[in-house]
Amino acid sequence: MSRAQPNSHVHQDNSVVERRLRPIYDWLDTGNNKKALQECDKVLKKTPNLQCAKALKALTLHRMGKESECIVILDVLTKEIPSDDATLQAMALCYREMQELEKICKLYEIVVKNNPNNEELHTHLFMSYVRISDFKAQQQTAMSLYKSKPKNPYYCWAIMSVILQATRGEGLNDPQKRQLLLSLAERMFTKLLNDNKVDAEQEVQLYIIILNLLNKHEDILNILNGPLGTKLQCANIPQSKLEYLIKLKKWNEVNIICKGILVYSVDRWDIWKEYINSMFELMPNSSTSVPVESSGDDIESPDDTPEKAHEFICGIVENGTENGYLLRGPYLARFELGSKMREKNMNFTDILGDLTELFIEYFRKFGHKQCCVTDLRLYLNLLDSEKKVELAARLIKDVGISSTSVPQTEHQMQRHICALQLSRLCGGHRNLSSEHLKALITALSLHYQHGYQTYGKNLLTTDLGPSDPYALMAAHVLYDLALTENSSNCVVVALMLLESLLKNSPNNFHAKLLAVKLYHVLGGGLSAHEMYNSMDVKHLQLDSLGYIHCARLPTTGLFTLCTNLFDTTLKFFSSNYKDSSDHLTFSYKFGSFMKIDEFMDFRERLNNSLHYTTVAVDRIMLNLVECMSLETLYSLAISPKDNDINWELLRDNHDLSVNISWDPERIDGSPEDWTITKSLFEQDLRFLKLRTSLLFSMASSIDIVKSLDGTRQEHIQTLRKSLDEWRSLYERTVDDNFVPIQQGLLPLPMPSRLHGALVVPYFSVFNSFFEFFLSLTSDDNDVIERCTKRIEDELTKLTDVLKENTLKKPNDFFDKRKSMEVAVNCVEVLSVSSVACALCSELIKPLQAKKGKRKHPEPKGKDHVQRISDKLKSELNSFCDILQDWVDASPEEELHKKFDNLNLTVSENVFEKILHSYTISNKEMQLILKTKIKLLT
Amino acid sequence: MTTLRPFTCDDMYKFNNVNLDPLTETYGLSFYMQYLAHWPEYFQVAESPSGEIMGYIMGKAEGIGENWHGHVTALTVSPDFRRLGLAASLMNFLEDVSEKKRAYFVDLFVRVSNKVAINMYKNLGYIVYRTVLEYYSGDPDEDAYDMRKACSRDVNQKSVVPLTHPVRPEDVD
Repeated sequence: MSRAQPNSHVHQDNSVVERRLRPIYDWLDTGNNKKALQECDKVLKKTPNLQCAKALKALTLHRMGKESECIVILDVLTKEIPSDDATLQAMALCYREMQELEKICKLYEIVVKNNPNNEELHTHLFMSYVRISDFKAQQQTAMSLYKSKPKNPYYCWAIMSVILQATRGEGLNDPQKRQLLLSLAERMFTKLLNDNKVDAEQEVQLYIIILNLLNKHEDILNILNGPLGTKLQCANIPQSKLEYLIKLKKWNEVNIICKGILVYSVDRWDIWKEYINSMFELMPNSSTSVPVESSGDDIESPDDTPEKAHEFICGIVENGTENGYLLRGPYLARFELGSKMREKNMNFTDILGDLTELFIEYFRKFGHKQCCVTDLRLYLNLLDSEKKVELAARLIKDVGISSTSVPQTEHQMQRHICALQLSRLCGGHRNLSSEHLKALITALSLHYQHGYQTYGKNLLTTDLGPSDPYALMAAHVLYDLALTENSSNCVVVALMLLESLLKNSPNNFHAKLLAVKLYHVLGGGLSAHEMYNSMDVKHLQLDSLGYIHCARLPTTGLFTLCTNLFDTTLKFFSSNYKDSSDHLTFSYKFGSFMKIDEFMDFRERLNNSLHYTTVAVDRIMLNLVECMSLETLYSLAISPKDNDINWELLRDNHDLSVNISWDPERIDGSPEDWTITKSLFEQDLRFLKLRTSLLFSMASSIDIVKSLDGTRQEHIQTLRKSLDEWRSLYERTVDDNFVPIQQGLLPLPMPSRLHGALVVPYFSVFNSFFEFFLSLTSDDNDVIERCTKRIEDELTKLTDVLKENTLKKPNDFFDKRKSMEVAVNCVEVLSVSSVACALCSELIKPLQAKKGKRKHPEPKGKDHVQRISDKLKSELNSFCDILQDWVDASPEEELHKKFDNLNLTVSENVFEKILHSYTISNKEMQLILKTKIKLLT
Repeated sequence: MTTLRPFTCDDMYKFNNVNLDPLTETYGLSFYMQYLAHWPEYFQVAESPSGEIMGYIMGKAEGIGENWHGHVTALTVSPDFRRLGLAASLMNFLEDVSEKKRAYFVDLFVRVSNKVAINMYKNLGYIVYRTVLEYYSGDPDEDAYDMRKACSRDVNQKSVVPLTHPVRPEDVD
């Protein structure tokens, strides 16, 4: 060990160093930063030049929030140009956690310059560019890496980097540039080919990516047929060829390949679809085709008419029966054929016969499988509404269960369930009278009970009860009935039914999803939360399923629950966005180039999630609502996602299809694609923009208070601009006259929070506050007086809004939920107003403090701020009184006795639970209001 | 009726109907991404005609010398699509890829309590190669069966001679 040399650690005995550093890593891993720091200092005392210990100290300091000390160490270390991996890794990790990815590049640039032949460091430099998507730098680094170590993977990294410049970099909006870059990528690869260096599967895949982007599909086919194709170890060559034959419109070959596959794999649905599609492309009267002379049963010749296709399908069906198989593929292929014929206005009855019979036949064969419903759902549109009603009736009859009998076998029960679900899909439950609906509910509940008693006992807890679908459908019909009667009572009954189902099959997630939704429909946030917790929603589900609960909680006033769930959600998003760059580096490492585009898209999808942005904004808003002092306010990050919201790219990541339902609308497509879902997205987006406007204005106001006279004017301009933008956005929103989405379809989320926000005068209250705030900077007494008056009026109006929307509204849970949402918004406005008022008094204070040696006259506006503060306190008290009166006037339980025959054995009273949730919300709101009185005192 | 295709990142937004089932674990993103980056050919999804995810399989290839083998990391089928032979076709696919990669055998771990799965694997030709004690942590910990099926490369079926004694998790590589 030569202590005098700065890079002594490199030559140090590694095991000694490792042993010394181990405790630091351990403390860091367990999150004990204080201990880690002590350990760092201990090691540095013994070996003051140990770079890795310094780097770990920097990391520890960063994690302790001591940013400036951390940066000092990192800067010194960088100048020393460390080259051992452990030190560099620790520094890189530190920069990553600081979100300073560019600095990792800078670090490795310096290090590589000093060690130009070190392959590992070079690789790290390349990966650091991958993390920031600097494709050009990637390309250069990969090339210089290849020059010093001529290995194929490095060359491929360079090619991939060129491809990305074409597709995501310079070439993105410049077709010429794109073409140029792609040709370059092709030439680079050809060089590898000519040198006879292509060896690995991944390399051939990369070549195919290039040719595909260049639309050279013919060349790809040549590869697949040639010697390079044999290197594609895991590919199924005939199926790989299909994709390109389709792009080249070589329908003859497509058709023949499909037939070849189908004869052996009769259940390959993707192939069936291509087969039928290619047949239509080949049809003699279609403009491009040449008639084909052959008989339909010849596997080597293509089928070019529906008749031949039908013959082919029937042949496979017959073969299947001979072999004793019963696979759905060929049976469903007939529907696909019919569907395509109808698209082309061809008469299909000559070939397929009566369609209703086809449905019945399918049902007879597969009705005992749950998937029968989703299979047939695809093709129900082939029947007009009259035929649908007829089909529904015939299916029920075919099962052989009348209103007075029960299924005799589990098999028959499953067929019965299937028929009922298809019947609802056919519109069988639409336009039924209340009496009809009630009879249906009773029947479904009885069937559920019977099925549970007969077939549902002694199952594993992980099994779904075989008769559960009856109860689920009963809950759906109860919801229909609740809407018909415009009373929430039936929803309470539905929840009782679901709770009782969950006692028998505790893991039925369909019931849980529905229960979470229904609890929110009634405003029972606490019960919804309990149910949601039992589903163990985590990781990506926080995004895809966030709408069921997290997105609703802010409307319930359960602030404590909000805090926890918001934080869990935000942690998932921010840490995964950071981690997702790792996955990209893996793709390069393993040569899975075909995944790179996908990974990058996915990363964007995650980061541009509307849900993510909404929760980020809600979290900041909640901080403002709960803010108890100006110090807290100053420490808050008010700009959501670091002020980097890409509004145009925000997207809806909700998985709505997971909610089972048998609404006729589902025949037309999945709920994600419904027009109504799109308009909900538009409304939610507008809501978010309006909400963000408040945050921007608030942030500028804080900047004004914090700023010295020199920059103050600039911040004042920013605030004026934010207010103008907010005003025009608000006016546009009022003009747009958005209508809440209809509530009849259970898979859809609840109506947008936009509507509950527009009831409350967010803009006019805050606009009056910020105008007052600005008037204080201008010292014009008349303006100050006018603004003060306006605030007083606005606050009086706000209290009226609260009263109107709570005490004066009906007490049914449907209404009560809406009232609660408005009440929460009112509390939000009043709380944040109190914070704004505190900010106003701070604005006029420094003048006093700075020049405060002599007694100065009272600063202008002081009396006015006091007046506003008094007004706020008085309204805060009124709010508490109104909320207390509201909670005292709780709804009467008046559930109809007529549902007694549902035989529900639920110990907990759903009704009581929901009421309890309202009481808790009320308490939480009053608590918040009281802290605001304190803030102003 | 199945469309088998490579699993993509976006499928993670659609797999709730499969993953909400209590027997299927939802892992952190990195877990799936690592498999997608390293063994994309081993990660397949089965899609229904209406575009729903019916089930999926994820696996990998690893081991040195005669231990070079395919491994089933996760296999799951949505409750709505059970008893259609889907698990068998997914396993078939994985075995196929392992054959192409010249693996000696395919293996998997299963809870000893999961009778349904164990029977299914037996029907597909797998044998219980050994018991791994307390492999699954929980309350209490549960043993796993390490089940195996030989590939054609293992001509003498050397890889599927069952061990007589159980092993500890740390002895499993």
